[in-house]
Amino acid sequence: MPAKQINDLHSLMQKSGLWRASSIECECKQGFSSGYPALDQHLPGAGWPLDGVTELLHEQQGIGELQLLSPALARLSREQTRHILMISPPYIPYPPALHALGIDLASILVVQANKNKDMLWALEQALTSKSCSAVLCWPKKINDKQIRRLQLASKDSNTWNILFRPTHAIRQASPAELRIHLSPAKYASLNFHRSIHLKILKRRGGWESDELKIDFDDHLNQQTPDFSELIIPTTDNVDYETKTQRRPMALPAFPAIAG
Amino acid sequence: MKRKHNDDLWLCLHFPQLPVEIFTRGKTEKPVVVTVKQRITHMNSIAMTLGMQVGSSMDTAYVLCSNIVCFEKDHDKELLALNFLAQWAYQFTPNVALKSPASLLLDIKSSLNLFGGIENIKTQLQKGLLHLGYSAVLGVHHTPLAAHISAKTALPDVAPLHDTPIEILDVEPRILESLQKMGMRSLHDTLALPYSGLTRRFGVFFADYLQRLQGEKPDPQKFISEQPSFLSEITFLSDVTNVESLVFPIRRLLQEFCEFLMARQLKVSTFSFTLSHRSHKPRSFSIHLAEPESDAAMFLLLTQLHLEKINDVEEIDSIRLSARQFLSTIALSGDLFHGTRFQQKDGRMTSLADAENSARLTNILNARLGQDACFGLSLANDHRPEKAWKPVQQGSLELGDAEDNHRPLFLLPQPRALSSHNGKPEFSGDLLLLQGPERIDCGWWDTPIARDYYVARHPAGALYWIFQERPRKPSQALSQELPQKEQPWFLHGVFS
Repeated sequence: MPAKQINDLHSLMQKSGLWRASSIECECKQGFSSGYPALDQHLPGAGWPLDGVTELLHEQQGIGELQLLSPALARLSREQTRHILMISPPYIPYPPALHALGIDLASILVVQANKNKDMLWALEQALTSKSCSAVLCWPKKINDKQIRRLQLASKDSNTWNILFRPTHAIRQASPAELRIHLSPAKYASLNFHRSIHLKILKRRGGWESDELKIDFDDHLNQQTPDFSELIIPTTDNVDYETKTQRRPMALPAFPAIAG
Repeated sequence: MKRKHNDDLWLCLHFPQLPVEIFTRGKTEKPVVVTVKQRITHMNSIAMTLGMQVGSSMDTAYVLCSNIVCFEKDHDKELLALNFLAQWAYQFTPNVALKSPASLLLDIKSSLNLFGGIENIKTQLQKGLLHLGYSAVLGVHHTPLAAHISAKTALPDVAPLHDTPIEILDVEPRILESLQKMGMRSLHDTLALPYSGLTRRFGVFFADYLQRLQGEKPDPQKFISEQPSFLSEITFLSDVTNVESLVFPIRRLLQEFCEFLMARQLKVSTFSFTLSHRSHKPRSFSIHLAEPESDAAMFLLLTQLHLEKINDVEEIDSIRLSARQFLSTIALSGDLFHGTRFQQKDGRMTSLADAENSARLTNILNARLGQDACFGLSLANDHRPEKAWKPVQQGSLELGDAEDNHRPLFLLPQPRALSSHNGKPEFSGDLLLLQGPERIDCGWWDTPIARDYYVARHPAGALYWIFQERPRKPSQALSQELPQKEQPWFLHGVFS
């Protein structure tokens, strides 16, 4: 290569704003740490994008798809006064487990919409209302145009929209900010050690990633946010008088388990 | 004429067209008449231009115009409307009295300063009434009775009443007839007579009436008390068949409602609409708000969402808005520099804009998806997994002690029976038990459970929370010869 061209290339490299396909460092916003350093280093902005649609594609319930989000949701629930909305979860999001993961239950709202149309409507309302920090949704059916609308709405209102979708949606094009395929780890042992495999299918300023393995129980690898400093409500510091009057509610109808 | 109470000032609102206006509310292009026993008693201006006359029969009316709308005179509705107007007039003065059949008396002496003079009050009253669809004649005088008479005869403010014909006076027809026979024509003639003579001739009430009229005797009024409920109704001249066209009348009702709330510094958390038709049962729906509000635009949006769901109403001839429970508004002062408002909540500073947005979202979701569609989560103090949580209304937080044991992120609302093979549970594949058993055996006081919980792994990798029922009465099971009957397995949670 002639010296002049090499020089040109060097001067070009000096300029900021040049994106190299080999790196995911781009001029994107600082992400919200996922709580798993192994994952953070592969995410643009070193964390979850708190504005935009994140798609999690998985085949089976119960492979740790919510647990993957839990450190981020726990931090969000304590740092922001906005709600975390769950629209049409397949089962009851179980409060004792949420509490155990450090999620502030007061910030969680669950919406039951039986029809897919109502679900998408509720999702868009939640995104445009600007009153939610994160909206988790389990849509039965959604197309790319609808995701595009959600992407715009969540950008506009600074809301993190997480969509849980079946794996066959991989073939569909999607305007989502981030798409991750989740698969269960192969276990050999009988112990309760949990991990999950994930593959980033789409990210801003980066190619599809290799398969990553996230260990939920590996405390050395994982920087769990320190919740000891935060006020975890115990019976001692709760002012019982501030509790508002409660209305007994009927148990919501959840769809029967499929499969 | 000597006046003792000549510093008082009374304003009378007289509604000559009230019997018609309760049906039309001022907005119609059709001739409307009100009848008593098939005789016209009142009519709107369009009917008047067509040449209808008071006292003529309905047959005559139909000859003059075929598409005339006819209503039977409705005293109850008139009184209801008058009450509503009295409540509306409450924003001008706290002293409002009803004068049936169709007048209101307002003591405006103390309101003059606030509203900047009598003319301003009159203009605002006229404007407001026009908006509500009522027309009134205003009369101002020093005593309630005099104000009433000047309203009925449309005299200028505080004009002398001497020339008033005696027919206008609010007295019995018998007295009126005698006065006419005596040759009295105007109030002036009557007042020239000595009271002692009048008392002897017509009784003490007539003399008393004249004295109260002139302010020589006090005339205490029974003022309305502030009404704790709101009710307003719009009647349609022709039946409304599609729900969409209700938006305009609803907007009008909500506007009135918000004026009502504003005048009293109130907020409302629930209100209801009633759609009725003469031929079938009225249909009502209520709108519940997550947080008390007083915002007409928000109310309209929620009502529209509700209307979209109504599809079983064929015809409607009147719509009514009512509300009973109110909360007083707490005035919140804004930040001087930023215009943002903050409040303390759970020790965190919460932007009021956030709180408002969130209440708005809950309102909208509940309006479309149903009252309990949107709920919060709370712990409950119970060892039974299905009772260790409960749905709560947004904003209410209850604390319980969470179990230290491992719990799944998703709980099935109802445990799902699993098939089993050789005592091993199956769920589209053999389940491998990883952890357990954790025995939960309690609840003898209402719904007892006796279960052994395990964490199980599906061959595909998913983790489930499953349990095996314990025999109900272990002593019996042991004593009987039956071999250990296989206990059923259930799926209860998903480690999502």
